[in-house]
Amino acid sequence: MSNWIGRGLRRGILTTNYPFQGEAMPERYRARPIVFPGATNEHIERGAAVCLSAAIQRSERGAIINMQRCFQCGECARIAPEAFTFTNDFELALTGDSIEMVRAELRRRTRALGRSIHIRHVDCGSDASCEQELQAIFNPFYDANRLGIFLTASPRHADILVATGVVTHAMVEPLRRTYDAMPSPKVVIALGSAASSGTIFADDDVAGPVDRFVPVDVKVPGTPPAPLTIIHGLWVALGHVTAPRPGAA
Amino acid sequence: MEAADRAMRRVTEGARFVWLFCEAGYTDRMLHYVTDLDGKLEFARGVVPESGEVASIAGVVPAARWYEQEVHNRFAVRFNGSTDHPPIIKSPEQDAEKLRRALGDEVSTVLYGPVRSGIVESACWIIETAGEDFVAVHPSMFFKHRGLEKRFEGATLELAPFIAEHISGVTPSSHATAFCRAVETVCGIDVPPRARAARTILVELERVHQHLDSLAKLADDGSLSIGSAQTFAAKERVHRLLSEATGHRFGRGSICVGGMRSDIFGALRTAAERELDIVEREALSVLRGLFGTQSLLDRLIGTGRLSRETVQAYGGVGPVARGSGVVNDARLTDGWLYAPLDAPAAIDLNGDAMARARVREAEIRQSFRLVREALDGSPTGKSCVDQERIQGKGRAHTRVESPQGELLYFVHYDEALVRVAVRSASFANWPLFVPSLPGNIFTDFSFIEHSFGLVQSETDR
Repeated sequence: MSNWIGRGLRRGILTTNYPFQGEAMPERYRARPIVFPGATNEHIERGAAVCLSAAIQRSERGAIINMQRCFQCGECARIAPEAFTFTNDFELALTGDSIEMVRAELRRRTRALGRSIHIRHVDCGSDASCEQELQAIFNPFYDANRLGIFLTASPRHADILVATGVVTHAMVEPLRRTYDAMPSPKVVIALGSAASSGTIFADDDVAGPVDRFVPVDVKVPGTPPAPLTIIHGLWVALGHVTAPRPGAA
Repeated sequence: MEAADRAMRRVTEGARFVWLFCEAGYTDRMLHYVTDLDGKLEFARGVVPESGEVASIAGVVPAARWYEQEVHNRFAVRFNGSTDHPPIIKSPEQDAEKLRRALGDEVSTVLYGPVRSGIVESACWIIETAGEDFVAVHPSMFFKHRGLEKRFEGATLELAPFIAEHISGVTPSSHATAFCRAVETVCGIDVPPRARAARTILVELERVHQHLDSLAKLADDGSLSIGSAQTFAAKERVHRLLSEATGHRFGRGSICVGGMRSDIFGALRTAAERELDIVEREALSVLRGLFGTQSLLDRLIGTGRLSRETVQAYGGVGPVARGSGVVNDARLTDGWLYAPLDAPAAIDLNGDAMARARVREAEIRQSFRLVREALDGSPTGKSCVDQERIQGKGRAHTRVESPQGELLYFVHYDEALVRVAVRSASFANWPLFVPSLPGNIFTDFSFIEHSFGLVQSETDR
């Protein structure tokens, strides 16, 4: 018979203190693409030309990267390292105006419930990696349960709907029905760049990004977003930290 | 059609039916029948007659059924004589049809999906049941069909490997390697040894984390919370190693046509020197734990049993096939790995969930060995061929042993990508899920599903 508890104790505590304390991803990890200030037009053009999801938009002062469109392939930084690079800053979540109201209501309810929240997941057409990374926030390294975050099997118990993947034609209805089945107030998180913007998918082959079908409160870019990025996104949804709006530089 | 007859003849002579796909040109539709005899693939091609009708071979070759169905749904080829069964590609009308059936039937029929409890990919099962036992199970898939094969057409060779990585985001290196090798075959390129070593390491580490994922989910099904948590922790260590070396937790964005996008072999070696020992130690330690926990094993032994004959009839691949004593491992036949492999890690004859778990355990050990061999070989030189050499025209296919089993890519390249077809291991194995269920009870469903360890997104594409 295996001694699981003894084995766990021998390994000590693996769990991160994030979001109460800082945490770092490896140096090389491609999380957030940035444009160097003062990069020449020529270099920016070269990088923008290889961007496969049109995430790089030209502006008067150089370029703006639309994080929700970026799928972190790293091509811009490889082809035009003079203009682009990736940092390991994993706090990528974006949010809109509507969230404030939902948050206040949600907070009122979760306080009554001892501040725990329950999430319901719907796969709208992901590439399977978003599911495994969402699963990973419950592993001992991240242990989302310590933050009062739990999964629920029923939409009736859910506070947060996490939708992964670009929405396929066949998943439009199941997504809508899950959303409708949830009690208000409800927060919707589009998990991953594909769910947020549709990235590389052709418009007629899929139905579109999640916010075309249900109102989205928080977008968590990444292909897939790392577990720390997901926890940050959930923290943003709960109003513990703030996040920029989509489209902001 | 002659090609179909030839494939059928080969199957009756003992070949494995591998694949049937359609290539639509401007004026005609061509069917490719793929069979495998002793590890050698044979493609038989034939043009669909103007009537659009072809004789079905599914009556003789059950493995051909799903492929005929997909070709019918996507390319409107009619397969005469095939028994009527619901289309496998989703359309809204089918929902109503299924619901009607679910309501009007005498046997209680349960719709399970497409949104299920927990963090799972979308797929639906129509379960006919008489109480606790499974009577029959009908899969309804392709909810996640994203038109990715079509997305390849006309795509540049820079973009195309990323599309391959989107087909299965959890095994991106297997898909990118298979796609890139197909184009490399068209162009007559041999990738440099340093790139081959890096690809080997990425694909084998992928096998480790996906097998651990399957085992962790089995432990969770068996209410072994601590064992499951620790297995997921062992998996997390593999992702951390990959993200340190490649900049991505699944190793994406590393492989390109002609080799590697950047010289990551050095980074892999540095990360491995620091971490591989502990990653391996933790993985092997949880494996010992899992296979020493009788309460878990009791749920696996005898569950979801598949006979050798069934696996052969349906053309099963990967750990599912090896767990039933059927050996087909692309690593044995298509030697592109850095260090050649001459024997499968394990063959189990029992055919149950336990056998599949045992095969995964042995393969994890073997993958660590292959990773070390590639690291120790430490080849020097370039990581990618010159871009000018990437040109050519023609058709080619390759196979790579992905964690789920044999993965095939067919590429027709003529200055641009004309057609890319993908036969994933998950697509080949789902038909086996159906015969594995009857005789088991409801609570065995998740054990059987997780012992298969298949990826829905690479099935639906």
